[in-house]
Order: sequence, then C-alpha cells, then structure tokens
Amino acid sequence: MFYVLFCKECKQTVKSLVYYIYVVVFVLFITSQMSSEGSLKLQEPQPGQSYYGEAVTKDQTLIMEKTLANLMQDISRNLFATYPLGFYKGVALTAPEKEQAQEILERCTGKSLEMLEAERNRYFGQYGQPTPKDAATPLPDYKVPVREGLSYGEFEASMKEICSLVGKGSSYEKSSYENKTYVPMTYEQAKAEFDALCHQDRITNAFMRLFCDYAGIILAVLPIFVGVSRMLRDRRAKAQQVLFSKPAPAAAIILSRYLANLAMLFFPVILTAFLLQQPYLYKAQTLGVRGDALAFFKVCCLWLLPEIMTVLALSFLLTELTDTILAVFVQVAWGIGSLFGAETLVGSFGLHLVTRWNTLGQSTLYAALEKDLWRNKSYYVLLAVLCVALTVAVYDKKRGRGGSILWKNMQN
Amino acid sequence: MAISIEIQHLTKYYGKKQALSDVSLSIPQGMFGLLGPNGAGKTTLMKILTTLSKKSGGEVAVCQIPIENSRQIRNITGYLPQDFSMYANMSAYEALDYLAVLSGMDRAERKRKVPLMLEKVNLSEKQKTKVRSMSGGMKRRLGIAQAIIHDPRVIIVDEPTAGLDPEERVRFRNLLCEIAKDRIVLLSTHIVGDIEATCENIAVLKQGRICFQGKVADLLSLAEGKVYAAQIAAAELEKAKQNYTVTGILTTGGTANIKIIAEKQPFPQAKQTLPDVEDAYMYLMHKA
Repeated sequence: MFYVLFCKECKQTVKSLVYYIYVVVFVLFITSQMSSEGSLKLQEPQPGQSYYGEAVTKDQTLIMEKTLANLMQDISRNLFATYPLGFYKGVALTAPEKEQAQEILERCTGKSLEMLEAERNRYFGQYGQPTPKDAATPLPDYKVPVREGLSYGEFEASMKEICSLVGKGSSYEKSSYENKTYVPMTYEQAKAEFDALCHQDRITNAFMRLFCDYAGIILAVLPIFVGVSRMLRDRRAKAQQVLFSKPAPAAAIILSRYLANLAMLFFPVILTAFLLQQPYLYKAQTLGVRGDALAFFKVCCLWLLPEIMTVLALSFLLTELTDTILAVFVQVAWGIGSLFGAETLVGSFGLHLVTRWNTLGQSTLYAALEKDLWRNKSYYVLLAVLCVALTVAVYDKKRGRGGSILWKNMQN
Repeated sequence: MAISIEIQHLTKYYGKKQALSDVSLSIPQGMFGLLGPNGAGKTTLMKILTTLSKKSGGEVAVCQIPIENSRQIRNITGYLPQDFSMYANMSAYEALDYLAVLSGMDRAERKRKVPLMLEKVNLSEKQKTKVRSMSGGMKRRLGIAQAIIHDPRVIIVDEPTAGLDPEERVRFRNLLCEIAKDRIVLLSTHIVGDIEATCENIAVLKQGRICFQGKVADLLSLAEGKVYAAQIAAAELEKAKQNYTVTGILTTGGTANIKIIAEKQPFPQAKQTLPDVEDAYMYLMHKA
C-alpha cells in the first residue's frame, strides 16, 4: 500500500501548480546567484601578485586594531550600522552617548578622537587618497594601534559598553568582530588555500558548498508552500471525511505524502546541482585535478536534505494541526531570522536552519568545522522525524473527531 | 457473522450541547432510512458509526464489532459523506483507484474492481472526466462506487440525493436498493420521498432523540385518521395555515385543495384521507 500511495502522491505533486512555481522560482534564484559567481576564473596564485584575496583572522591584536579603526570611523561620522532584526538600522548617538563612546575609544587606544582622525587623514594623505570621512569603514588595510598593555579582556568589556550604547546587531558584538575581521592573505596563505581546494575538495566539493549556500537560503522558505498546499488539499477538495473513513493507517497516509513531497522537492535541487557542477568538473580537469563527479549528490544530501526535510515536516505539522496557512507566516519568519541571525557568512553553523558557506574554498576552515555541520544537520533530521511523527498523531486524532482538533466541529 | 447494527443508549455531547440523547436502535440487513429535520443529529450518528466522531456514552456495535475498534469498523463499512468530492485534478478512474488503495486493495484487485464499479454506477464512459468537471449526480455516483468498492457489509450514506435533479434522484435510489441486497445500507435524509421509495425499516430522529422506529407501514398507521383533505377558498388559505399543519396545497383559480393534519375533523367540508409517508412524518414532527 505504501509504495502505491507514494507513487500516487508523486503524481499528484507533479500535477500541482504550487510545485511548478517552486521549481521555477528555485531554478531562477539559483542560476541568477551562481551566474554572478566568477569562480570559474579560478587560478593558482603566483608570487608577486598585488592581491591574493582576504581571509578571516583570529589574531587578537589584528581583531582589536581593525575593530577600533571601525569604531573611530563610526564615532567620527556618528552613524553606527546595526542589524537588530536582520535589516539595516542606522543609529546616531546623543551628545552624552557620543562622549561616552569617545571615552571608550580613548581608553582602548590611548588617543583622543581628534588625534586618531588626524592620523587617519595623514595616512590617506601620504598615498594621495581622499580621506574616507563619510565611508562606513576606512580602507580594508587601515588599522588603529591599541594602547600599550590593553588586554583582549579589557577590549571585550569595552566593546560590550559600545553595544549597550548602539543596541543589538552591531559589528561590536563579540560574534561579529571575531568572525568578520578580514585581513589580506599572503602568497603562502593563498597557495595553501588553493592546494587544499584542489586536493581536499577536488574543486567540485568546494563549488557545491557554495551552491548549497545559495540554495539553502531559498529552501528555507519555498518548501513551506508545497507542504501547506498539500496538507490543505484534502479540506479544499472536500475529501477529508471520505479519506478519514478509509482503513489505511494514518502513518502510511502521512509518510507516503511526506516522502513523496520530499522526493519531488529534492529532485530539481539535485538536477540543478548536477548540471551546474559540470563546468567545474571540466575546470578541475584543466587544472590537472580529478574532480569529484558525485560531489553534487553528496554535498546536497548533507547540506540541503536535512533543511528541506525540516521545513516540509514542520509545514505538514502546523497545517495539519491548525487547518490554516499559519505555517507560512511562522516558517517564513523563522527562515528569515535564521538567515540574518548568522554570525558570519562562512561557518558558525550552530543550530541555524540556514547554514552559510558563501565562499569558494576555505577548505582548511571547512575541515575544522565539518563536525559542527554534522551536528547541526543531525539535529534537523531528528527534528523532521519528530514533526512527521507528530503529524501522524494529529492526523489520527483528527480522524477520530472527523475534523479539526483545535476548533469545534459541530455538525448535525 | 450477523449483519446488523446495535445501538444502546447512545449519547453525544459537543461541549455542553447534547447532539444525541439516549438513542437505541437495531438496524437489520437491507435498506434502513434515518429520517429527521436538519439539525436532528443524523450526521452525528453517521459519524459515530463511521468512527469519525467519538460517542460520549452508550454502546454501539457494527456486525458485533464494538465501535471502539475503529480499524476493523472501517474495514467493514463504506461511507458516502454529505458533500462528497475528491481532488479536482483526478479523473473518475484515478479517484476511485486512489480510494481503493486506501481501502487496502491490492493492484490486481483494483484492476478488476475499479472498472467494474464504474460500470455499476454508470460512469464507465466518464472514467477520464476530471472531478472538477463532474456534475453533482456524477460525484454522488462516484461516491457510492468508492463506498462499495471494498465490498463492505455496511454502507452509510448521508443525504445522498440533496441537490440532484429528479431523474438523477430516482437513478440513485434504485442503485442504493440494488446494492442493499446482501448488506445494510443506512440512508440518512430529510427528504421523505427517498425513504418512501426505498426503505422498509426506518427511524425518525428529532432533536437528538429517536421519536419513531419501525416499518413504514407502522409510521403510516400513526397518522391514520388524522389526515384530511378539503377544498377551501384561496382567500382562506392563510387562516388554514395558521391553525393547522398543512401538508399539501393545490391552488386552482379561486379555490385551493389542501391536505391537513389534525387530531379531529377541522371543519365540516374536510374529509378524511389516507396518509402518505410525508403526512405521517409531518404528524410526528408536529406532535407535542
């Protein structure tokens, strides 16, 4: 019974308009994002290049110097960029608050704001560059030296004070400055990264991680609509009563629906990944690397399948429980919150629904963080299983009541 | 196994509202009519019998299986709900095949029985018609096909003829009689004509209570001597309606031929006449 129901559900999904919208939106989104990536120009770094790209630094002195340079710039123009709910909010301090911020800056650098501004102007002046007075940040390589004897602990406490002045979501939060301080790479660093990209990731695995980064964003939201639409279909078609009266077990009905929808949602993802991977297989070949032809499948299964499973399972549960489109509002908010709640665009998986890896490579960092990723994905697989089990229980309960379990069902 | 439904002191509450009160019924094999006005509790009773609603008290057994064994009950019952429909994009064949799978039928059995059932309900030529394009009558016929496809011992049909044109209604009633030969067909309706044409045994529900149970002839005998026919002036019609239960009016010119229910002769020109089931039902409904 289960296999027949599964096949019939797949057929039903293919016939639904919502599914076609899902496929079109997904393909348009992913191709537009991936086509703007210049990663096919990938080349081995050569000594003497002026720029090798940037990498996140974990050097505490560099973190302090770069963060204080940003702070000086923000105080100078009295505009702090914050993202409290994931969206930009510019914060201007009042006169007493600005004075307090200046004191904190002076405590960390041993210099007044005026002195630091003069040094900045001199620095840019010697290169014949205009002073970036109104820029959000000074040039990437600009740093402000810290006061002699300033410990990292003191720096952290000072940044906490700044956070209390400017509010949530600023670049002075620990998670931000420790994960988003970029410094230019040296040739040796760039070469080591390139070698890891070729030998650890065989290029295609790294590319697929980037694919999953973009796909993960849209897949936090799109499957909701397919799930909600499926679970409301019985009610919309006025088929609920007759389906409830049939002897098929609730588990067979719900599981076949879930797995069929999951398979149909995952299929275009895998197909798109497979097609977009082909130029990278060729690129790997031209660089003398044997690309991993199955990377599209392996990486998508790890990065995207648990996410789709969870989003679909939760949409099933909320819709079956409420007989409404509540899941759309709850889950879209969750997806957006998870996207903007990420501390960094590379790594910091935690328990975020949307896991980010917005770069081609950083293979060494990925190897170090892979365990965290597995932990995150295992958590979401378990959550999905729990949601499906609860959906079965809700369906069974509704069946015994002939309809909703939340709202009164009075028919004579 | 005896084919019967036994209901003892059944009660059902929705919150504080009592939908069924101390209902006791014995339903034998064949067509059984459950009659009652809208809101009398017919659908509630149907839902309890199809395990779609839980009883609040009393005992119910379908073919000796207690109603609590919902899985077994679903195996031996077929249900046609009041407003049956299926997924709009499915054809008649696909919808019936899908519901047959849910009834636990294997591929070979479905392949044999789906065309057979479509033929039985006269939908063979429309097997590719999408549910969205079906008329009310076609949907009901598809509904009855899905209710009988797994050969259940009990078929429960809720208001099956509402909204059908006269020809469809007659065809549907005949179909129900045909399939009731070796099982119970419990027909719930507020349309007296359906019961009169198909059922020998009936029960009447009124405000959640059984107010009559027996054969159609017994119901008729209740109203015997209480139905009068009279010819009155059309101008007096309103007055007659205010004072008596009028079950039929035929106005021709300035006169009206009316049928009245009354305990004794309402006025001299009124003559006693034989009651039909509708008269008897109306008598029962208006009895204190």
